[in-house]
Amino acid sequence: MPSITLPTSTAAEAAPPSQRGRGRRSAKRTSRNNLTGYVFIAPAVILFLLMGLYTLVYGFLLSFATWNGFTPTWKWVGLDNYIDLLGGSAMVSPVILNAAVNTLWVIVGLPVITVVISFPLAILLNSINRFAGAIRTIFFLPYVTAGIAVFYAWTYVLQPQGAINSLLTMLGLGTLSQPQGWLGNPDTALPTLIVVMVWSAVPVAMILYLSALQSVDTSLIEAASIDGAGWWRTNFSITWPLVAPITAVVVLLNIREALQGFQTMLLMTNGGPAEHTNVLGLEAYRLAFLSNLAPTLGLSSALSWLLFAAAIILAFVNLRLFRSKT
Amino acid sequence: MTTELIVTRGQGAPKNTRRGPVSGRRVRAWNQILVYALLAVYGIVSLYPFLWMISASLKDSHEIVFNPNLIPDNPTLNTLIDTWQRLDFFAFFTNSVIVTGATTIGVIVVYSLASYAFGVISFRGRTALYRFFLVLLFVPAVTVLLPVVLLEKQLGILGTHFGLILPFINGTAPLSILILTAAFQSVPRELREAALMDGAGEWRIFASIYVPVIRPSLITVALLTAIPTWNEYLLTSVSINKEELYTLPLGLRGLQSGAILEYNTLMAGALIVVIPVIIAFIALQRYFVNGLTGALKG
Repeated sequence: MPSITLPTSTAAEAAPPSQRGRGRRSAKRTSRNNLTGYVFIAPAVILFLLMGLYTLVYGFLLSFATWNGFTPTWKWVGLDNYIDLLGGSAMVSPVILNAAVNTLWVIVGLPVITVVISFPLAILLNSINRFAGAIRTIFFLPYVTAGIAVFYAWTYVLQPQGAINSLLTMLGLGTLSQPQGWLGNPDTALPTLIVVMVWSAVPVAMILYLSALQSVDTSLIEAASIDGAGWWRTNFSITWPLVAPITAVVVLLNIREALQGFQTMLLMTNGGPAEHTNVLGLEAYRLAFLSNLAPTLGLSSALSWLLFAAAIILAFVNLRLFRSKT
Repeated sequence: MTTELIVTRGQGAPKNTRRGPVSGRRVRAWNQILVYALLAVYGIVSLYPFLWMISASLKDSHEIVFNPNLIPDNPTLNTLIDTWQRLDFFAFFTNSVIVTGATTIGVIVVYSLASYAFGVISFRGRTALYRFFLVLLFVPAVTVLLPVVLLEKQLGILGTHFGLILPFINGTAPLSILILTAAFQSVPRELREAALMDGAGEWRIFASIYVPVIRPSLITVALLTAIPTWNEYLLTSVSINKEELYTLPLGLRGLQSGAILEYNTLMAGALIVVIPVIIAFIALQRYFVNGLTGALKG
C-alpha cells in the first residue's frame, strides 16, 4: 500500500460530520437524501468491502491456522500461532524475541531523536524571515522522496569506501570510520538505520511544530522576555509545553512507523548482519513471502495482528499521557 | 481542520511572530548568523544523499571506483542516458506514470463522491460509516499485504497494474475522506439549498458548485496520493513478476541485484526515480505542506 503516514490521534476522534442544517424535512426529501447518499458512497464502499474488509477478515481467520499458501486447505490450530509468537515455541520465539528487542530500540530511538532534532529546527526556522520558504523546501525533500531510491543512496554513502567514511577521515576522525561499512558492522547497523529513519521522519515533525509555533500566542512569549527569560528559558519553559499536543502526534506517528515500518531494513540490510537489524514487521513479511513453502502464513498473520493491537494500545496510552499534561 | 487553513495559509515564508525587545543590534545580528549557520548544517544533512546521488550518476564506471570525491573529474551524462535507454528506464517510467496516474484519478473520483455524501448529504448511517473509514488508519500495511495478494490471485488480477491500482486507491481512503469531508463541510450550505430550490440535481450541485470550490483540497489529496504511490515498493515487489510491467522502484531493484553492482548506474536510476517527485513537490508545495499539517492536526 502507499504508506501515507497519518496521525491517527486526531482522525480517530475527529468529529463526525455535523448534522448541520437539519430542519424539518418531508419524508420524501429524507428518503431521497438517503438514496443519493448511498449512490455517492457506493464506489468507496464496494472497493472497501473487496480490498479492505474481506482482506482484514481473511487475515484474521488465517492467524488461527497454519498454511503454506499452496495446499488446498488450512489446518486450524486455534491460538497456537499467538502462543508460539509469545514464547511458546523453541523454534519461533528466539527469532521473535530478537526482532522484538530490535524493534524496541527503534520505538525508543526514532521518536526521541526525531523530536530532539525537529523541535529546535522548527524554532530556528520560525525565527528567520529571509529564505524561510527555500529552507523549508530543502528540509522537506527527505519526506517526498522516501523510498527505495534514497535508501540505495544511503547504502552507497554508508558502504566501506563510502562518503561517510571518507568524510570522517578528512575531518581527522578516521578512528570512527567503519572499515566493514556502517551497515556491515553488527554494532553500528541498527543505530545507523535509526538515523536514516530519523532523517526521513524529521520533515513532517518539523512542519507540524512549525505550524504550531506560528499559532502560539506571542504575548506570552513577550511577557516572558520582558520578565528577563532568555532564549533557552523561553523556548523550554513556555513554548515546549504549549506544543505538547504536537509532540504527542509526532511521537505517535513515529512509534507507529517504528512498530510497522520495515522498508528501511528490507531494502538496506534485509535484517542483517546476522539478524542484528531484523524487526517485527520485517519478520512478518518474511514469514509471509519468503517462507519457501513452510506453513508460516498463519504465523505471519498472527504477528501482524499483534503489531496492529500494539499500535492501537500505544496510541491510546500516548494520547492519555499527553492529554493529562496539557 | 478547516479548508480556510489550506486555502489561505498559502505560500510564502512563515512570519516572524516573536520579536524580543531590542537589546543591542550587534547581538541580534550575530544571533541571526548563528541561526542561519545551524539551518545550513541541517540543510546539508537533508541534501546529503541527493548530492551523492547526483555525483555518482555523473561519473563513468571507471571514475565511480577510483574517484571518491563528490565532484567528478570528468562529469558525463552517458551514465544517465545509458540507464534511461539501455536499461529500459523509459518503460519503467511509463509504467509508473500509468499506475500513479490511474490511482490518483481513482482516488479523486471515488473519495470526492464519498466525501461529498459524508460532508453534505444527511443520510442514514452516515456517521457510523464515516468513523468506520477513519478507524482504518490504524491498520498496518503488513496486515493486509498477504490477504490482498491471495485475494488477487483468486480474482486473477495479481501481477497486473490493475491489481496494484485497486488496493492503492483503497489504501488512501481514510486520509482522503478526512481531508475532503472537511473541505466539503466548509462550503456554505446555503449554496446547496439555493441550487436545490432552483431545481438542480445533486449531481449538478456536486460537479458544478462544490468541486470547483474545494479544488485546493483536491490538489492536496492528489499529491498525498501520487507521491507515496510513485515510491511504493512493498505490494509492487510481491505482486509484479513480468519485467515489462515493472514500475521504477522495481527497475531500480533490478539494477541493484544485477551481477555487477555499479553504483553510478544505480544512482542514475535513483535520480530518475526522485526527480519527478521533487519537481512535482516544488511546483505544488503550498498545497502539500498546508494540506498535510491540516490533515495531521485534524
